[in-house]
Amino acid sequence: MSESELNRLREDLRVTINELSKTYEELSLLYRLTESFSGATVDELCDIIIEEITTQLNVKTIAVLLYNQSLKQLYTKKAVGRWQVDEETLRRIRLFRDMLSRGRATTICDVTTMEEMKGLGFKSILLAPLSGKKSPVGLIVVADKVEEEEFFSGDVKLLNTISSFAGLFIENAMLAEEIQAFFIGAIRSFVKALEARSLWTAGHTERVTRYAVEIGMELGLSRKELEKLRICSLLHDIGKIAIPDQLLNKMGALNEFEWEELRRHPVIGADILSELVGFVDIIDCIRCHHEHYDGTGLIGLKAEEIPLAARIIAVADAFDAITFDRPYREKKTVDYAVKEIVSNSGTQFDPLVVDAFLRWIESTYHIVMSDTKSGT
Amino acid sequence: MAKVMVIDDEPFILMMIEDKLKRAGLQVVTLRESKSAISRIREEKPDLIILDWMMPEVSGIEICKKLKSDPELSDIPVFMLTAKGQEDDERLGLSTGVERYITKPFSPRSLLEIVLERVGTK
Ligand SMILES: [Fe+2]
Repeated sequence: MSESELNRLREDLRVTINELSKTYEELSLLYRLTESFSGATVDELCDIIIEEITTQLNVKTIAVLLYNQSLKQLYTKKAVGRWQVDEETLRRIRLFRDMLSRGRATTICDVTTMEEMKGLGFKSILLAPLSGKKSPVGLIVVADKVEEEEFFSGDVKLLNTISSFAGLFIENAMLAEEIQAFFIGAIRSFVKALEARSLWTAGHTERVTRYAVEIGMELGLSRKELEKLRICSLLHDIGKIAIPDQLLNKMGALNEFEWEELRRHPVIGADILSELVGFVDIIDCIRCHHEHYDGTGLIGLKAEEIPLAARIIAVADAFDAITFDRPYREKKTVDYAVKEIVSNSGTQFDPLVVDAFLRWIESTYHIVMSDTKSGT
Repeated sequence: MAKVMVIDDEPFILMMIEDKLKRAGLQVVTLRESKSAISRIREEKPDLIILDWMMPEVSGIEICKKLKSDPELSDIPVFMLTAKGQEDDERLGLSTGVERYITKPFSPRSLLEIVLERVGTK
C-alpha cells in the first residue's frame, strides 16, 4: 500500500471516529433524557430541558414556551437568563407562531434586523418547536451564546434531539395532568355533595386533606405518595353516605347504637370504593383511617399494619374534629387539640406521625411545642 | 502529561475514547483484550484506568479486584464502564474500589471532563 493510500485511510478513520463520537454523544443524550423524562410532570420536564441545554450549550437565555390549545396562544412556562418578554409581546411575534407548525429547529443569526423582534434585546436565537403526536405543544427559545459566537449546526442538531423528544413527553404529561385534575375535581364535587347533607361537616374534608398533605410533607413523602395521600384524604369519609341524615345531624351526644353505626363508615367506604379495581392501597387506607395504632380499633390492625396514609389521616381528622364545631363536642382551641393528640400518641396515633404533626403545628401556628413532645 | 489506560473489547469505543483523550493532550494506552491487563498495567503504570465491566475472558471487576489487592497498583484510580441495568451489580462492585461508574452509552464529552478533572493537573 502506498504512502498516500495509507494517509487517505488514516484520514478516513479519523473522520469516521469523529462521526461515531458525535453519534455516541447523541445516543447518550437520548438515553439520559428517556430516563429523566419518564414519569416527570410538565414542570419537571421544563426544568430538565433547561438544565440539559444549560450544560450542553453555553447560552445566556433559555425559555420554554407552551401553547395553550384553547386560547391559541403561546405563554412562557419557564425561563432562565434575560427573558423579559411579556405575554402581549409574545403573542405579536409571528415567527414564534409560524415555528409551531415547523418540524425542525431554526437559527436566526441577527434578530436585530427583524422588526417584530428587535425589541427583545437578543442578537442571535435558536428556535425549536415542541411537537406532540398531532398538534403543537410549544417552543424552545435559546438566545445568545456567552462567547458571542453564532450557533453551529451541531447546536441545531442537539436542540432538535431534545425538542423532538420533549414534545411528546410534555404532551403526555399535560394529558395526564388534565385527567388527574378532572379526577380530583370529580371527587371534590362528590364530597361537597356529601357534606351538604350534614350541617356540621362542611369543609371538613378539604381541611383534613390540607392538614394530611402538610403532615405528609413534614414526613418527607414523595410527590407520588403525597398525591395518593391527597386522594385518600378527599375520600376518607365517603362511607358516611350510608349513614342516616338524622344521625349525622344529631345534636348532643350519640348513644351506643348510634356510635356503632357511625364507627362502621370506614368499612362501608372501602366497600363502596371496591369498584376501583387497581387502587387497593387507596381502599385499604379508607378502611383503616380510624384504626388505632395500638391495635384497639374497629378492625384491630396495629402499627405498620395500618397504611401510613391512614395513620396520617387519623391525626389530621382528629385535629379538625377537635378544632371545629361538631354536634357532640364544642369547639376547642388548637392548644387543646394538640394536647389531646399528644396524649394519645402511641395508643391511638402513630408517634412518628404525631411528631411530624407537632413540627407542622409549630411552623403553621408558631407555637413552641418543646414541652409537649409525644411520648412513645 | 497524565497517562490514561483504556481497556475495552469493543474497538470503536476504544478508538473513540482514545481520540477524545488524545485531542485533549493526554497520553493514551489502549488494550483490547483483558487477559494481559494486569501485566500491561504493571508495565505502563498509568495515572488512571478506564475499564470496561463486560469483557470476555477476564471481567473488569476481576481486574479491578486484583489491582486493589496489589500494593504496587492499588493507588491507581479506576473508572468503570457499565451497561445500563447493572445498577444492582454496581453496589456489589463498590467494595472493589472502583472510583467512578460510567454508564454506557456515555457522553464522550463528559467522560473527557471527568478524566481531566481527575488527572488533568498532572
Ligand atoms: Fe372518618
